[in-house]
Amino acid sequence: MSPTLQKQRTRLDVAAPWISTLARFGLAGIFLAAGLLKVVDPQSSVQAVRGYELLPESLVTIVGWAVPFVEIALGLLLAAGLFTRLVGVLCAALLLVFIAAVISAAVRGLTIDCGCFGGGGMVGIGETTYGPEVIRDIGFLWLALWLVWKPRSRFSLDHADQEEIE
Amino acid sequence: MTEQPGRTDRWTLAVVAVALVLVIVGGGVALQAWRTSRAPSAVPGATAAPAALTPANITSGSPVRFGQPGAPVTITMYADFHCPHCADLEEKIGPTLTAAQQSGRVTLELYPMAFIDAGSTAASNAVACAAEAGFGEPYYRGLFANSALKWSTSQLTALGDLVAGTAPESFDRCVTDSSHADWVQSINAAADAKGVTGTPTMFLNGNPVDIASLTPDTLETMIEQAPHK
Repeated sequence: MSPTLQKQRTRLDVAAPWISTLARFGLAGIFLAAGLLKVVDPQSSVQAVRGYELLPESLVTIVGWAVPFVEIALGLLLAAGLFTRLVGVLCAALLLVFIAAVISAAVRGLTIDCGCFGGGGMVGIGETTYGPEVIRDIGFLWLALWLVWKPRSRFSLDHADQEEIE
Repeated sequence: MTEQPGRTDRWTLAVVAVALVLVIVGGGVALQAWRTSRAPSAVPGATAAPAALTPANITSGSPVRFGQPGAPVTITMYADFHCPHCADLEEKIGPTLTAAQQSGRVTLELYPMAFIDAGSTAASNAVACAAEAGFGEPYYRGLFANSALKWSTSQLTALGDLVAGTAPESFDRCVTDSSHADWVQSINAAADAKGVTGTPTMFLNGNPVDIASLTPDTLETMIEQAPHK
Protein backbone atom coordinates (compact mmCIF):
# COMPACT_ATOMS: atom_id res chain seq x y z
CA MET A 1 0.00 0.00 0.00
CA SER A 2 1.87 3.06 -1.16
CA PRO A 3 0.91 6.26 0.68
CA THR A 4 1.32 8.41 -2.44
CA LEU A 5 -1.33 6.39 -4.26
CA GLN A 6 -3.70 6.41 -1.33
CA LYS A 7 -3.84 10.19 -1.28
CA GLN A 8 -5.41 10.49 -4.69
CA ARG A 9 -9.09 9.82 -4.32
CA THR A 10 -10.48 9.88 -7.79
CA ARG A 11 -14.13 10.34 -8.64
CA LEU A 12 -14.27 6.60 -9.31
CA ASP A 13 -13.13 5.90 -5.75
CA VAL A 14 -15.99 7.97 -4.44
CA ALA A 15 -18.62 6.61 -6.78
CA ALA A 16 -17.53 2.97 -6.81
CA PRO A 17 -19.04 1.93 -3.47
CA TRP A 18 -22.38 3.37 -4.51
CA ILE A 19 -22.28 1.76 -7.95
CA SER A 20 -21.33 -1.48 -6.21
CA THR A 21 -24.27 -1.11 -3.85
CA LEU A 22 -26.64 -0.81 -6.80
CA ALA A 23 -24.98 -3.69 -8.63
CA ARG A 24 -25.12 -5.86 -5.52
CA PHE A 25 -28.78 -5.31 -4.76
CA GLY A 26 -29.67 -5.46 -8.45
CA LEU A 27 -27.93 -8.79 -8.93
CA ALA A 28 -29.36 -10.06 -5.62
CA GLY A 29 -32.87 -9.27 -6.87
CA ILE A 30 -32.20 -10.95 -10.21
CA PHE A 31 -30.84 -14.14 -8.63
CA LEU A 32 -33.58 -14.30 -5.99
CA ALA A 33 -36.29 -13.76 -8.61
CA ALA A 34 -34.76 -16.33 -10.96
CA GLY A 35 -34.54 -18.89 -8.15
CA LEU A 36 -37.92 -18.28 -6.56
CA LEU A 37 -39.79 -18.34 -9.88
CA LYS A 38 -38.27 -21.76 -10.58
CA VAL A 39 -38.63 -23.52 -7.22
CA VAL A 40 -42.42 -23.35 -7.38
CA ASP A 41 -42.46 -25.85 -10.24
CA PRO A 42 -39.92 -28.66 -9.86
CA GLN A 43 -41.10 -30.42 -13.03
CA SER A 44 -40.55 -27.26 -15.02
CA SER A 45 -37.05 -26.61 -13.71
CA VAL A 46 -36.04 -30.20 -14.44
CA GLN A 47 -37.54 -29.97 -17.91
CA ALA A 48 -35.70 -26.72 -18.55
CA VAL A 49 -32.40 -28.47 -17.83
CA ARG A 50 -33.39 -31.51 -19.89
CA GLY A 51 -34.25 -29.22 -22.80
CA TYR A 52 -30.60 -28.27 -23.28
CA GLU A 53 -29.72 -31.93 -23.96
CA LEU A 54 -26.32 -31.39 -22.36
CA LEU A 55 -26.53 -33.51 -19.20
CA PRO A 56 -27.13 -37.24 -18.84
CA GLU A 57 -30.61 -38.16 -17.63
CA SER A 58 -29.22 -39.24 -14.25
CA LEU A 59 -28.05 -35.68 -13.54
CA VAL A 60 -30.94 -33.74 -15.09
CA THR A 61 -33.28 -34.10 -12.11
CA ILE A 62 -30.81 -33.19 -9.39
CA VAL A 63 -29.43 -30.22 -11.35
CA GLY A 64 -32.94 -29.03 -12.16
CA TRP A 65 -33.84 -29.09 -8.49
CA ALA A 66 -30.55 -27.67 -7.17
CA VAL A 67 -29.82 -24.75 -9.51
CA PRO A 68 -32.78 -22.60 -8.36
CA PHE A 69 -31.73 -23.01 -4.74
CA VAL A 70 -28.11 -22.18 -5.62
CA GLU A 71 -29.45 -18.99 -7.20
CA ILE A 72 -31.46 -18.20 -4.07
CA ALA A 73 -28.42 -18.80 -1.84
CA LEU A 74 -26.23 -16.54 -4.00
CA GLY A 75 -28.99 -13.92 -4.01
CA LEU A 76 -29.19 -13.97 -0.21
CA LEU A 77 -25.40 -13.67 0.13
CA LEU A 78 -25.44 -10.71 -2.27
CA ALA A 79 -28.29 -9.04 -0.38
CA ALA A 80 -26.41 -9.49 2.90
CA GLY A 81 -23.21 -8.24 1.29
CA LEU A 82 -21.24 -11.18 2.54
CA PHE A 83 -18.01 -12.21 0.76
CA THR A 84 -19.07 -10.03 -2.13
CA ARG A 85 -15.97 -10.60 -4.27
CA LEU A 86 -16.13 -14.38 -3.97
CA VAL A 87 -19.90 -14.41 -4.49
CA GLY A 88 -19.39 -12.16 -7.52
CA VAL A 89 -16.95 -14.70 -8.96
CA LEU A 90 -19.45 -17.51 -8.37
CA CYS A 91 -22.29 -15.53 -9.95
CA ALA A 92 -20.12 -14.68 -12.96
CA ALA A 93 -19.14 -18.35 -13.32
CA LEU A 94 -22.78 -19.47 -13.15
CA LEU A 95 -23.82 -16.82 -15.68
CA LEU A 96 -21.01 -17.91 -18.03
CA VAL A 97 -22.34 -21.47 -17.84
CA PHE A 98 -25.87 -20.22 -18.62
CA ILE A 99 -24.64 -18.10 -21.53
CA ALA A 100 -22.60 -20.98 -22.93
CA ALA A 101 -25.59 -23.32 -22.58
CA VAL A 102 -27.94 -20.93 -24.41
CA ILE A 103 -25.41 -20.32 -27.20
CA SER A 104 -24.88 -24.06 -27.54
CA ALA A 105 -28.64 -24.60 -27.75
CA ALA A 106 -28.84 -21.97 -30.49
CA VAL A 107 -25.89 -23.43 -32.40
CA ARG A 108 -27.33 -26.95 -32.23
CA GLY A 109 -30.65 -25.64 -33.56
CA LEU A 110 -32.66 -26.66 -30.50
CA THR A 111 -35.97 -24.86 -30.05
CA ILE A 112 -36.14 -24.27 -26.31
CA ASP A 113 -36.93 -21.53 -23.85
CA CYS A 114 -33.85 -20.74 -21.75
CA GLY A 115 -35.86 -21.33 -18.57
CA CYS A 116 -33.95 -18.46 -16.98
CA PHE A 117 -36.87 -17.17 -14.94
CA GLY A 118 -39.07 -20.23 -14.81
CA GLY A 119 -40.58 -22.00 -17.78
CA GLY A 120 -38.13 -23.71 -20.07
CA GLY A 121 -38.26 -26.70 -22.32
CA MET A 122 -39.39 -26.94 -25.91
CA VAL A 123 -41.03 -24.06 -27.73
CA GLY A 124 -42.28 -23.84 -31.29
CA ILE A 125 -39.94 -23.21 -34.21
CA GLY A 126 -39.52 -19.45 -34.57
CA GLU A 127 -40.47 -18.84 -30.94
CA THR A 128 -36.91 -18.96 -29.62
CA THR A 129 -35.36 -15.78 -28.23
CA TYR A 130 -31.73 -16.81 -27.84
CA GLY A 131 -30.36 -13.38 -28.82
CA PRO A 132 -32.19 -11.35 -26.15
CA GLU A 133 -31.55 -14.10 -23.57
CA VAL A 134 -27.80 -14.00 -24.16
CA ILE A 135 -27.69 -10.20 -24.20
CA ARG A 136 -29.63 -10.08 -20.93
CA ASP A 137 -27.31 -12.59 -19.29
CA ILE A 138 -24.26 -10.67 -20.51
CA GLY A 139 -25.75 -7.59 -18.82
CA PHE A 140 -26.04 -9.56 -15.58
CA LEU A 141 -22.48 -10.80 -16.10
CA TRP A 142 -21.23 -7.20 -16.15
CA LEU A 143 -22.90 -6.59 -12.77
CA ALA A 144 -21.17 -9.65 -11.33
CA LEU A 145 -17.80 -8.67 -12.82
CA TRP A 146 -18.15 -5.16 -11.44
CA LEU A 147 -18.59 -6.67 -7.98
CA VAL A 148 -15.48 -8.78 -8.47
CA TRP A 149 -13.56 -5.65 -9.40
CA LYS A 150 -15.11 -3.31 -6.78
CA PRO A 151 -16.64 -5.45 -4.05
CA ARG A 152 -16.83 -2.66 -1.47
CA SER A 153 -20.33 -1.35 -1.09
CA ARG A 154 -22.71 0.27 1.36
CA PHE A 155 -25.09 -1.58 3.68
CA SER A 156 -23.03 -4.75 3.54
CA LEU A 157 -21.72 -7.17 6.14
CA ASP A 158 -18.34 -7.03 4.38
CA HIS A 159 -18.15 -3.34 5.19
CA ALA A 160 -17.07 -4.09 8.76
CA ASP A 161 -13.57 -5.09 7.68
CA GLN A 162 -12.93 -2.61 4.91
CA GLU A 163 -9.16 -2.75 5.53
CA GLU A 164 -9.01 -6.06 3.70
CA ILE A 165 -10.38 -4.52 0.55
CA GLU A 166 -8.38 -1.92 -1.28
CA MET B 1 -0.80 -6.73 7.65
CA THR B 2 -1.29 -6.84 11.40
CA GLU B 3 -3.74 -9.07 13.21
CA GLN B 4 -7.19 -7.57 12.99
CA PRO B 5 -9.89 -7.87 15.57
CA GLY B 6 -12.36 -8.81 12.83
CA ARG B 7 -10.48 -11.90 11.74
CA THR B 8 -12.22 -14.49 13.93
CA ASP B 9 -15.58 -12.90 13.16
CA ARG B 10 -14.79 -13.27 9.50
CA TRP B 11 -14.11 -16.97 9.89
CA THR B 12 -17.29 -17.44 11.88
CA LEU B 13 -19.21 -15.62 9.15
CA ALA B 14 -17.59 -17.80 6.50
CA VAL B 15 -18.61 -20.97 8.33
CA VAL B 16 -22.15 -19.66 8.84
CA ALA B 17 -22.41 -18.61 5.19
CA VAL B 18 -21.20 -21.96 3.86
CA ALA B 19 -23.53 -23.81 6.26
CA LEU B 20 -26.44 -21.65 5.15
CA VAL B 21 -25.75 -22.30 1.48
CA LEU B 22 -25.55 -26.05 2.12
CA VAL B 23 -28.80 -25.99 4.10
CA ILE B 24 -30.61 -24.00 1.39
CA VAL B 25 -29.41 -26.13 -1.52
CA GLY B 26 -29.57 -29.49 0.32
CA GLY B 27 -32.89 -28.68 1.95
CA GLY B 28 -34.23 -27.39 -1.35
CA VAL B 29 -33.35 -30.57 -3.21
CA ALA B 30 -34.90 -32.63 -0.38
CA LEU B 31 -38.02 -30.46 -0.54
CA GLN B 32 -38.41 -31.01 -4.30
CA ALA B 33 -37.83 -34.74 -3.87
CA TRP B 34 -40.66 -34.79 -1.33
CA ARG B 35 -42.94 -32.62 -3.44
CA THR B 36 -42.61 -34.95 -6.44
CA SER B 37 -42.85 -38.22 -4.46
CA ARG B 38 -45.78 -37.56 -2.15
CA ALA B 39 -49.27 -38.93 -2.65
CA PRO B 40 -51.61 -37.06 -5.02
CA SER B 41 -54.07 -34.64 -3.48
CA ALA B 42 -57.79 -34.50 -4.04
CA VAL B 43 -59.24 -33.59 -7.42
CA PRO B 44 -61.99 -30.97 -7.14
CA GLY B 45 -65.36 -32.37 -8.10
CA ALA B 46 -63.81 -35.60 -9.31
CA THR B 47 -66.18 -38.10 -7.74
CA ALA B 48 -69.25 -36.03 -8.65
CA ALA B 49 -69.70 -36.93 -12.28
CA PRO B 50 -68.46 -40.42 -13.19
CA ALA B 51 -72.06 -41.47 -13.88
CA ALA B 52 -71.85 -39.62 -17.20
CA LEU B 53 -68.77 -41.55 -18.22
CA THR B 54 -68.74 -44.84 -19.98
CA PRO B 55 -65.84 -47.24 -20.25
CA ALA B 56 -63.91 -46.46 -23.39
CA ASN B 57 -62.16 -48.77 -25.79
CA ILE B 58 -58.50 -48.11 -26.28
CA THR B 59 -57.64 -48.37 -29.96
CA SER B 60 -54.16 -48.04 -31.39
CA GLY B 61 -53.52 -44.53 -32.74
CA SER B 62 -56.94 -43.25 -31.59
CA PRO B 63 -57.37 -40.70 -28.83
CA VAL B 64 -59.34 -41.23 -25.63
CA ARG B 65 -62.70 -39.45 -25.89
CA PHE B 66 -64.43 -37.66 -23.04
CA GLY B 67 -67.93 -36.24 -23.00
CA GLN B 68 -71.32 -37.43 -24.14
CA PRO B 69 -71.74 -39.19 -27.49
CA GLY B 70 -73.02 -36.99 -30.30
CA ALA B 71 -71.76 -33.67 -28.96
CA PRO B 72 -71.74 -31.10 -31.79
CA VAL B 73 -68.24 -29.74 -31.19
CA THR B 74 -65.01 -31.73 -31.04
CA ILE B 75 -61.96 -30.35 -29.28
CA THR B 76 -58.74 -32.22 -29.88
CA MET B 77 -55.97 -31.82 -27.37
CA TYR B 78 -52.37 -32.95 -27.67
CA ALA B 79 -50.79 -32.79 -24.24
CA ASP B 80 -48.06 -34.36 -22.16
CA PHE B 81 -48.92 -34.78 -18.49
CA HIS B 82 -45.49 -33.42 -17.55
CA CYS B 83 -45.57 -30.45 -19.89
CA PRO B 84 -45.80 -27.34 -17.70
CA HIS B 85 -47.65 -25.28 -20.33
CA CYS B 86 -50.21 -28.08 -20.64
CA ALA B 87 -50.84 -27.96 -16.88
CA ASP B 88 -51.14 -24.15 -17.08
CA LEU B 89 -53.61 -24.43 -19.96
CA GLU B 90 -55.66 -27.04 -18.12
CA GLU B 91 -55.74 -24.85 -15.03
CA LYS B 92 -56.97 -21.94 -17.14
CA ILE B 93 -59.59 -23.56 -19.36
CA GLY B 94 -60.14 -26.94 -17.66
CA PRO B 95 -63.34 -25.99 -15.83
CA THR B 96 -64.85 -24.51 -19.02
CA LEU B 97 -63.95 -27.63 -20.99
CA THR B 98 -65.34 -29.95 -18.32
CA ALA B 99 -68.60 -28.03 -18.11
CA ALA B 100 -68.96 -28.08 -21.90
CA GLN B 101 -68.47 -31.85 -21.91
CA GLN B 102 -70.92 -32.44 -19.11
CA SER B 103 -73.59 -30.35 -20.81
CA GLY B 104 -73.14 -32.40 -23.97
CA ARG B 105 -71.77 -29.59 -26.13
CA VAL B 106 -68.20 -30.82 -26.52
CA THR B 107 -66.36 -34.07 -27.04
CA LEU B 108 -62.76 -33.91 -25.93
CA GLU B 109 -60.35 -36.03 -27.91
CA LEU B 110 -57.20 -36.42 -25.87
CA TYR B 111 -53.87 -37.48 -27.32
CA PRO B 112 -51.78 -37.96 -24.17
CA MET B 113 -48.33 -37.74 -25.71
CA ALA B 114 -45.30 -38.98 -23.83
CA PHE B 115 -42.02 -37.36 -24.75
CA ILE B 116 -40.81 -35.55 -21.65
CA ASP B 117 -39.86 -38.22 -19.16
CA ALA B 118 -40.73 -41.62 -17.72
CA GLY B 119 -43.56 -40.04 -15.74
CA SER B 120 -45.18 -38.79 -18.96
CA THR B 121 -45.25 -42.32 -20.33
CA ALA B 122 -46.60 -43.81 -17.11
CA ALA B 123 -49.31 -41.13 -16.83
CA SER B 124 -50.31 -41.55 -20.47
CA ASN B 125 -50.66 -45.30 -19.96
CA ALA B 126 -52.63 -44.70 -16.75
CA VAL B 127 -55.13 -42.33 -18.35
CA ALA B 128 -55.87 -45.03 -20.92
CA CYS B 129 -56.37 -47.52 -18.07
CA ALA B 130 -58.68 -45.05 -16.35
CA ALA B 131 -60.69 -44.42 -19.53
CA GLU B 132 -61.09 -48.16 -19.95
CA ALA B 133 -62.31 -48.40 -16.36
CA GLY B 134 -64.80 -45.56 -16.94
CA PHE B 135 -63.25 -42.69 -15.01
CA GLY B 136 -60.89 -41.28 -17.63
CA GLU B 137 -62.08 -37.66 -17.54
CA PRO B 138 -61.71 -36.96 -13.80
CA TYR B 139 -58.48 -38.95 -13.84
CA TYR B 140 -57.15 -36.72 -16.60
CA ARG B 141 -58.01 -33.67 -14.51
CA GLY B 142 -56.36 -35.28 -11.48
CA LEU B 143 -53.15 -35.85 -13.44
CA PHE B 144 -52.94 -32.17 -14.32
CA ALA B 145 -54.06 -30.96 -10.88
CA ASN B 146 -51.09 -32.90 -9.44
CA SER B 147 -48.64 -32.21 -12.25
CA ALA B 148 -45.71 -31.66 -9.85
CA LEU B 149 -45.70 -35.38 -9.05
CA LYS B 150 -43.23 -37.65 -10.82
CA TRP B 151 -45.93 -40.32 -11.47
CA SER B 152 -44.66 -43.49 -9.94
CA THR B 153 -46.92 -46.55 -10.11
CA SER B 154 -48.09 -46.05 -6.53
CA GLN B 155 -48.96 -42.40 -7.17
CA LEU B 156 -50.93 -43.34 -10.28
CA THR B 157 -52.92 -46.05 -8.50
CA ALA B 158 -53.49 -43.73 -5.52
CA LEU B 159 -54.94 -41.15 -7.90
CA GLY B 160 -57.26 -43.84 -9.24
CA ASP B 161 -58.61 -44.42 -5.73
CA LEU B 162 -59.01 -40.68 -5.19
CA VAL B 163 -60.95 -40.24 -8.40
CA ALA B 164 -63.07 -43.38 -8.42
CA GLY B 165 -63.56 -43.98 -4.74
CA THR B 166 -61.83 -47.33 -4.93
CA ALA B 167 -60.43 -48.11 -8.34
CA PRO B 168 -60.96 -51.67 -9.56
CA GLU B 169 -58.08 -54.07 -9.32
CA SER B 170 -57.97 -54.31 -13.10
CA PHE B 171 -57.04 -50.63 -13.19
CA ASP B 172 -54.18 -51.11 -10.75
CA ARG B 173 -52.92 -54.04 -12.80
CA CYS B 174 -53.21 -52.05 -16.02
CA VAL B 175 -51.09 -49.27 -14.45
CA THR B 176 -48.54 -51.62 -12.90
CA ASP B 177 -48.10 -53.68 -16.06
CA SER B 178 -48.09 -50.67 -18.43
CA SER B 179 -50.74 -52.54 -20.39
CA HIS B 180 -51.19 -49.71 -22.88
CA ALA B 181 -47.50 -49.06 -23.53
CA ASP B 182 -47.97 -49.81 -27.24
CA TRP B 183 -50.96 -47.49 -27.39
CA VAL B 184 -48.86 -44.68 -25.85
CA GLN B 185 -46.33 -45.16 -28.66
CA SER B 186 -49.15 -45.17 -31.22
CA ILE B 187 -50.39 -41.85 -29.80
CA ASN B 188 -46.92 -40.33 -30.19
CA ALA B 189 -46.80 -41.65 -33.74
CA ALA B 190 -50.30 -40.34 -34.51
CA ALA B 191 -49.38 -36.88 -33.22
CA ASP B 192 -46.23 -36.96 -35.32
CA ALA B 193 -48.24 -37.96 -38.37
CA LYS B 194 -50.61 -35.02 -37.80
CA GLY B 195 -47.62 -32.66 -37.70
CA VAL B 196 -47.96 -31.82 -34.03
CA THR B 197 -44.51 -30.66 -32.92
CA GLY B 198 -45.18 -29.38 -29.42
CA THR B 199 -47.64 -29.48 -26.56
CA PRO B 200 -50.15 -28.21 -25.79
CA THR B 201 -51.65 -28.20 -29.27
CA MET B 202 -55.39 -27.79 -29.60
CA PHE B 203 -57.91 -28.03 -32.42
CA LEU B 204 -61.59 -27.14 -32.45
CA ASN B 205 -63.50 -29.09 -35.10
CA GLY B 206 -60.15 -29.62 -36.79
CA ASN B 207 -59.08 -25.97 -36.83
CA PRO B 208 -55.99 -24.96 -34.87
CA VAL B 209 -56.69 -22.90 -31.75
CA ASP B 210 -54.31 -20.12 -30.75
CA ILE B 211 -53.54 -21.14 -27.18
CA ALA B 212 -51.57 -18.03 -26.23
CA SER B 213 -54.64 -15.79 -26.52
CA LEU B 214 -57.14 -18.35 -25.23
CA THR B 215 -59.26 -17.50 -22.18
CA PRO B 216 -62.27 -19.30 -20.68
CA ASP B 217 -64.49 -16.63 -22.27
CA THR B 218 -63.02 -16.87 -25.77
CA LEU B 219 -63.19 -20.66 -25.57
CA GLU B 220 -66.85 -20.43 -24.56
CA THR B 221 -67.50 -18.15 -27.55
CA MET B 222 -65.64 -20.47 -29.89
CA ILE B 223 -67.69 -23.43 -28.71
CA GLU B 224 -70.95 -21.51 -29.12
CA GLN B 225 -70.14 -20.15 -32.56
CA ALA B 226 -68.62 -23.31 -33.99
CA PRO B 227 -70.64 -24.63 -36.93
CA HIS B 228 -72.42 -27.72 -35.73
CA LYS B 229 -71.52 -30.94 -37.48
